[in-house]
Amino acid sequence: MSVIEVEGLTKSFGSLTAADHLSFEVEEGEVFGLLGPNGAGKTTTVRMLACLISASEGSARVGGYDIAQDSLRVREIVGILTENPSLYERLTAYENMDFFAEAYGLSDVSEKRNRIRELLQFFELWDRRNDKAATFSKGMKQKLAVARALVHKPPILFLDEPTSGLDPESSKEVRDLMERLSRREKHTILLCTHRLEDAEKLCSRVMIIDRGKSVIVGTPDELRDKIAGQPILEVTLKKLNQKIVEAVRELNHVLEVNVDDSASKLIVTLDDVQSVTPDVVKNIVHAGGMVLSVNTLRPSLEEAYLKLVKEG
Amino acid sequence: MRIRKAMLVFRKDWLEIRRNWQVILPIVVIPFMVSVLLPVLLMSIPNLANIPGTSSGGLEVMIQNLPKHIQDELLGMTDQQVMVYIMSLYFFAPFFLVIPLMASSVIASDSFAGEKERKTIEALLATPISDSELFLGKIMVSFIPSMMVTVVSFVIYSTVVDLVALTVFNGRLLLPNLVWILLIFGLAPTLALASIGLTVMISAKVKGFREAQQISVILLVPILALVFGQVTGAIIFGPLVVAALIGLFAIVDLAVFQIGLKVFKREKILSKLA
Repeated sequence: MSVIEVEGLTKSFGSLTAADHLSFEVEEGEVFGLLGPNGAGKTTTVRMLACLISASEGSARVGGYDIAQDSLRVREIVGILTENPSLYERLTAYENMDFFAEAYGLSDVSEKRNRIRELLQFFELWDRRNDKAATFSKGMKQKLAVARALVHKPPILFLDEPTSGLDPESSKEVRDLMERLSRREKHTILLCTHRLEDAEKLCSRVMIIDRGKSVIVGTPDELRDKIAGQPILEVTLKKLNQKIVEAVRELNHVLEVNVDDSASKLIVTLDDVQSVTPDVVKNIVHAGGMVLSVNTLRPSLEEAYLKLVKEG
Repeated sequence: MRIRKAMLVFRKDWLEIRRNWQVILPIVVIPFMVSVLLPVLLMSIPNLANIPGTSSGGLEVMIQNLPKHIQDELLGMTDQQVMVYIMSLYFFAPFFLVIPLMASSVIASDSFAGEKERKTIEALLATPISDSELFLGKIMVSFIPSMMVTVVSFVIYSTVVDLVALTVFNGRLLLPNLVWILLIFGLAPTLALASIGLTVMISAKVKGFREAQQISVILLVPILALVFGQVTGAIIFGPLVVAALIGLFAIVDLAVFQIGLKVFKREKILSKLA
């Protein structure tokens, strides 16, 4: 079931088109990534979906509500982590959470307290709950902002650069949390990021946008395949000779064979890695080769992404 | 409109304002000057009047410019009594309109422009609080503290004036009277509401706190004209004049609130983000 349905969503600021006829769907419990360089239109898209700005063209439904007609309902079911932590620095961590909990409709005092406590404890901020947000480090502020986005247990989360400014340990914590929210608690997450590591580790599907336009949509694996071609087979042998090389070359579906003599490696380009790999290994063994390892080399999402953005 | 949500915005802003000396300082210093320093000056006037060589000619000119009914009130008073009476009841009255205006303009300028400057506005606008609830909450957080400051200043001022009057008028108390009650509890709030509504609208459209405050200071000009008019005797605050001004500003308040609700849109606020 699609929780977010976007059809031809466009936003123009004068002559600048920040989002240009974007269309995509996000399923329940999915982590969908909007990936693109700075100024690609990610934040504008999230702002439209969070009903902070109106669309110039197109339509979208979030949690079944039309963003143009039911903006208040959309805002109730969405938790948002904005580009900046957007914290009230003169208020304490607890006061920040308390305000947003009530703003999102958590009026039952004990329920509100328990939820705030649970989140602040999870993010290891409970001991600092009575300290002003101004005294927090960048990472702590980001954690508090993520906690705030979760305070009303929203089924849908819009997270704009959630690991920005976090140290590797905190980044991992946030990624683990997102994974848990998506897989176990069925939260649907729209993740804006320019960090490929986040997209690769978390997103079930990714849409790469550049200059407001959708460049490609798919799973991280599909994107790699589409952009950078098929994976390459790397076979390491105990000893390499010409007979082995010829035995591989004579196989159907082998497009190219490169030899790395110094490392006794064969780099084989195939038109279908999955089905041809066993035949390659079989031929090498028949030719007297001793196989030490077989690896499938894929271009990283980063390489694929950079290639795509450069071409765009 | 859910008043509870507007109150929530008010409570949050009030918590923040209480911890912001840039806002607290002007809203405390100006009322202190008007309610304490001016009466202290007033108390020194009887002494000045007794200084040999001090002319009372200036006072006579001022009295001549006053309307006939006020001149009648002064019949039989000594120079000292006339000075205290005129200064405390008439000349200082418009300053008490400056107090709520100054206080509210500082807070209202901080309301949205300050949130934009501190980059807290986006998370606030993403909450399911409606535009009208936000607008009302921001108006309340400017209105309630400024009126509290005005009323407290009035109580202090009245006490000081009456302490002076006790000796100068042989036990007669001057304040509060009808005009001042209308002024503090009728004109000051209606005037403040109009100014706050306009300042919040300005604040929502500009990028920063200082820009909002600079523009909103222009709203003080008509009030300064009232001060000047009162001092020169051109406009004297009698019960009818004050009542008429209350009526006029009540209409302005309604218009400002209606316009405010129409022009106060999330998108426009966000588009001005610094």
